[in-house]
Amino acid sequence: MLEKQLTGHRVDRSICDWFWDHVISQGDSFKSQPVIASPTHYLFQVVREGITFLACTQVEMPPLMGIEFLCRVSDVLSDYLGGLNEDVIKDNFVIVYELLDEMIDNGFPLTTEANILREMIAPPNIVSKVLSVVTGNSSNVSDTLPGATGSCIPWRAAEPKYANNEVYVDLVEEMDAVINRDGALVKCEVYGEVRVNSHLSGLPDLTLSFANPSILDDVRFHPCVRFRPWESHQVLSFVPPDGEFKLMSYRIKKLKSTPLYVKPQLTSDAGKCRVNVLVGIRNDPGKTIDSITLEFQLPPCILSADLNSNHGTVNILGNKICSWTIGRIPKDKTPSLSGTLLLETELERLHVFPTFRVGFRIMGLALSGLQIDKLDLKTAPSRLYKGFRALTRAGEFEVRS
Amino acid sequence: MLLNDRSPAVVGAAAAAFASVCPYNLSLVGRNYRKLCEILPDVEEWGQIVLIGILLRYVIARHGLVKESIMYSLQCTESSHSAKDGSDVDSGLVKESTDLSGTCDSEFVNTVSRCYMEGPDEYLSRSSYANRESFELNGAQFTSGKSNDDVKILLYSTSPLLWSNNSAVVLAAAGVHWVMAPKEDVKRIIKPILYLLRSSNASKYVVLRNIQVFAKAMPSLFAPYFEDFFIFSSESYQIKALKLEILSYIATDSSISSIFKEFQDYIRDPDRRFAADTVAAIGLCVQRLPKMAHICVDGLLALTRQEFVTEDFGFEDQEAGILTQVIMSIKSIIKQDPPSHEKVIIQLVRRLDSVKVPAARAMIIWMVGEYSSLGEIIPRMLTTVLKYLAWGFPSEAPETKLQILNTVCKVLEGATGDDLWTFKKIFSYLIELAECDLNYDLRDRARLLKKLPSCNLVSLGLEEETNDLPENDLLHIVAECILGRQTRKVKPESFSYRYYLPGSLSQIVLHAAPGYEPLPKPCSLLLDDLNVAEGTSEMKRAADYSGTDDYGSSSDPSDEESASDYGSQRSVTESSGSDRGDDSEFTSEGNYNADPLIQISDIGNASENQNGVSQSSPANLGELMSNKALESWLDEQPGSSNPGLPKQSQVRISSARISVGDVGKRVKQKSYSLLDPASGNGLKVDYSFSSEISSISRLLVCIEVFFKNCSSEIISEITLVDEESNRAFDSADKTAVVNESSLTSSDDVPTLVPMESIVSLEPGQTTRRILQVRFHHHLLPLKLALYCDGKKLPIKLRPDIGYFVKPLPMDVEVFIDKESRLPGMFEYARSCTFTDHIVELNKENGDSLLVKDKFLAICESLALKMLSNANLCLVSVDMPIATNLDDASGLRLRFSSEILSSWIPCLITIGVEGKCTDPLNLSIKVNCEETVFGLNLLNRIANFLVEPALS
Repeated sequence: MLEKQLTGHRVDRSICDWFWDHVISQGDSFKSQPVIASPTHYLFQVVREGITFLACTQVEMPPLMGIEFLCRVSDVLSDYLGGLNEDVIKDNFVIVYELLDEMIDNGFPLTTEANILREMIAPPNIVSKVLSVVTGNSSNVSDTLPGATGSCIPWRAAEPKYANNEVYVDLVEEMDAVINRDGALVKCEVYGEVRVNSHLSGLPDLTLSFANPSILDDVRFHPCVRFRPWESHQVLSFVPPDGEFKLMSYRIKKLKSTPLYVKPQLTSDAGKCRVNVLVGIRNDPGKTIDSITLEFQLPPCILSADLNSNHGTVNILGNKICSWTIGRIPKDKTPSLSGTLLLETELERLHVFPTFRVGFRIMGLALSGLQIDKLDLKTAPSRLYKGFRALTRAGEFEVRS
Repeated sequence: MLLNDRSPAVVGAAAAAFASVCPYNLSLVGRNYRKLCEILPDVEEWGQIVLIGILLRYVIARHGLVKESIMYSLQCTESSHSAKDGSDVDSGLVKESTDLSGTCDSEFVNTVSRCYMEGPDEYLSRSSYANRESFELNGAQFTSGKSNDDVKILLYSTSPLLWSNNSAVVLAAAGVHWVMAPKEDVKRIIKPILYLLRSSNASKYVVLRNIQVFAKAMPSLFAPYFEDFFIFSSESYQIKALKLEILSYIATDSSISSIFKEFQDYIRDPDRRFAADTVAAIGLCVQRLPKMAHICVDGLLALTRQEFVTEDFGFEDQEAGILTQVIMSIKSIIKQDPPSHEKVIIQLVRRLDSVKVPAARAMIIWMVGEYSSLGEIIPRMLTTVLKYLAWGFPSEAPETKLQILNTVCKVLEGATGDDLWTFKKIFSYLIELAECDLNYDLRDRARLLKKLPSCNLVSLGLEEETNDLPENDLLHIVAECILGRQTRKVKPESFSYRYYLPGSLSQIVLHAAPGYEPLPKPCSLLLDDLNVAEGTSEMKRAADYSGTDDYGSSSDPSDEESASDYGSQRSVTESSGSDRGDDSEFTSEGNYNADPLIQISDIGNASENQNGVSQSSPANLGELMSNKALESWLDEQPGSSNPGLPKQSQVRISSARISVGDVGKRVKQKSYSLLDPASGNGLKVDYSFSSEISSISRLLVCIEVFFKNCSSEIISEITLVDEESNRAFDSADKTAVVNESSLTSSDDVPTLVPMESIVSLEPGQTTRRILQVRFHHHLLPLKLALYCDGKKLPIKLRPDIGYFVKPLPMDVEVFIDKESRLPGMFEYARSCTFTDHIVELNKENGDSLLVKDKFLAICESLALKMLSNANLCLVSVDMPIATNLDDASGLRLRFSSEILSSWIPCLITIGVEGKCTDPLNLSIKVNCEETVFGLNLLNRIANFLVEPALS
């Protein structure tokens, strides 16, 4: 347990005990409650990869502010520590505290921009670890304030210098889809992010435009993006932070098709249930679809399951989750999963049906069809390397049976 | 404040500080409002959240609600919502204003109240028209456009924030639009809010909770986006339940079919609790859209068919829940239009055999009873059904048994002809069975029901023989009441939800979290409004007094008498005994007055009793009356003769009475010499600061100037003008030019509002003029030029910081609350000695007849001194408990005021130390945000307190 007292008013640690008591007594439903009113405090809760982040307040404040901040903390931590789990946090106690110190001050969020934090607190790496062991000097907080705090562009460090100027733009898309029991596509939308990794010297002013901005349904921007050019011409004009950051996120709704089809068939009779699932490519996107997985939760009334596949591996995990790892779809056959589920003795027929969650990845393609038109730099340095990449993976891709 | 800094980074931090230090001091925002709005998109995101909240509050306080906004239209439709949108506040305001206009007949109040009635927007334009009257801007249109500008600019600057990466910012901005934006523009917040649903699970929940409220208020907004509320299996139960609820709000005829398809899928979800909720949601949907009733009912019936297959085997609780929910939904659907669903009832009754869940069974049986006379087929079925029920009665669950009894009763009620006999038999059989049941409730019910229909039966069966006895009739009515449409009263959806501002914590936990503040009262922060309020409260007070005059004068003689009695007899017991009577009267009067100045603290009372000083007050009063303006006290005598609270009441009077006339009589207004006769050719000019507040501008201070002709000749053409502006226009027609120049000067407030010139002053004659002066600095004197007989005399007007404030009435709680918000660098203290009271006390000592309450004298002299030297409002006087008679330590006087120019409150506390008869040590404390002003005021107070009394 990690604790950071933020205001002069001390919060008693017993609130955590209270919280854990309730988690134990009420189970998962309590854990999924983001705002909890305890007898003494209001708690905000964010659970990320098994780690619970709690913030508490006694007075009125926007709850989203608390939650959003906790999310940022967890993002920054996982960014710094290269992952988020108990061991990593234990190993880097000092850094976590230092980060929290910088991120929040007297109960108000301060610096949450990862790039700036990086300047103040060096991320852990082997060199610094060795150094600290050797020299005994464990602090890795830089003595100087980052230059950005003084500049008018708070997200950018003063004047970075790079030998080669590079900008990489990644489109990372996630496809959310729901296919109902009749096999009809109920909802299909793409949630995408434009990630930029910029290593530019000076104060670059970039302009990014899309070939087809009209397909964007919703957008959200990094603070560096100027709103007015977007309003008028749908052009992203921004002074990028140094390093990697999420420039914008977008959503494109009402797509017509999914790259994969999943056809589950469940027939239940006489205390048994026959399962047959087919997976195949519906619309060939032109690039290979890999890392295909299929996961579903077996209904609670099932005693045992006997499932086999003609391609990939099938595992049934402890909590009755069945996962089928397919990988790539072979050319010669259609992968299928089949087998029988044995129901509880009293049941004759299955009346609840599992939902299949599909995972996949397509490299080098943005499924939404969004295309970056051009990226311009206003004050072009001598050499500028621009790189574009795209990636699509499955978000909430669900097939009901 | 740093709020007006140019750098966005500073503003963000300043906003956070503002919110935590002085969230109520919205007037501070006013000056920088526009700039804040412009800078808003550049402020760092966490600051944005806070700043948006502040700006919204400011706009509401300044301009009120926007007429075209949803909030306004909601006022008409959803008056039951209390805290959410200030609609009640608004109606409250209207009421208040009518009250005001009822009590005092002033033009001002009338216009204001009329403005209130016309709705916030007109009010807004009109009052700001009045506001700008002094600047001679004409036409309400212009000002309405202008004042709407503030709203517009806020909406304009917050709309890009809807694209922010930070979900909290988006929701905050959406909240502003929700409250302020015209109805047709609210649409734009919908998509961003829905997009928030794609962020983390935790924030998804919070956003959904807010959408829940929005959707309830305006389903049409969300109706096209119903697909966004379709449910993923990976979501938590709370989110699923919320989405279902929202879906059932926003379903429309066009979307219902796809929503219904989704619902069908959900019912098969492994989470059975969720499935049960889905069924309930179907019921809700159909209630909103009756067109779908048949399809839905068919679906639900199919569901019952499916469910009992499992029912026979796995008897799980959750399945039972679903089935009950299904029947409940069907029931609610049928209720809307019973005749068209006759067949459904029949089908359900047929199913009775297979439905095993008691609650569901009970409900079906209830339906049988309720609709027993419906249509053609059901009445014919009744006998069979009832026989079947009676046959199975012993094996039913109590819940079902109760319902069977009820049903049979109901059937009996409506039965006629042949069936009656059968029913009666069944009924008596059932009653017999029920009376021997193990369950108490059941036996009770049986006994009750046994009586009811029996009478009915008697009257029916034996026809004319028992010519309806009155009890029979009565019983019949009772039966009707008990068995009748009892469930009709149950509302389908409880409206007990509490609403809080969108995006607030309170909205999520559904109770007001500590520190939660609803929106400020609309238009509570209007320049003009403030002045008017001041005026009205004064007027109201005056009216109150005139109202109480009768009472005062009628009881005066007796009081006078009693006063002299006490004076001679000095009988403590008697005085307290007889004064008891006055006590209650006074309190009632006090309540009537509802004067914020009255603060009867327990401490004061307690000390009163202990010290036993109560006897002297009437006599003391008499003396006071002789010394000072008699008639002004007379009115108030009943109050001040009350032994329970002599101090408070008396002091209250002195403060309540502090208007120019009274001060002139009671309080020695300090008069300064502006021009002595020697240098002024026989003209003597004195001035004193008046407690009046300038009606033209808040920057002006009112000064009373007395012109006296000490010479033997007539002095003519006396005017006072501002020297500096005069210098520029050194022409013949000075006054006229000055008039113009002061009005056209770049600063919109003139240094000196031109005084009407005195045409001529006879020898020995004195004339009074009120000057309104704007001091550029509260310490530096102002150079003026006095013209008389065509000659120019330079004079200097010295400011008195004590009159740069105006009284700010408040009660002690508010005072202490405000004081606690102004700690540290906003608090300045000084101590000094005070001797005034010694004179007073000595005077009394000479008066051997009575021992004047020393405490009273001290308080009074202190208060008088304060009030006659500064324009303050006395808040409270605290007395220490259990002190000896001579020790005045612990006395505490509180004064409140606000700075004229900026409305920043300025709180003054005076603590007393030392013995009554000796010079007292005073500790003066000033709490004020304006550091320099506060310090200067403190020095000034300390100075005049040290000065010996003029008399």
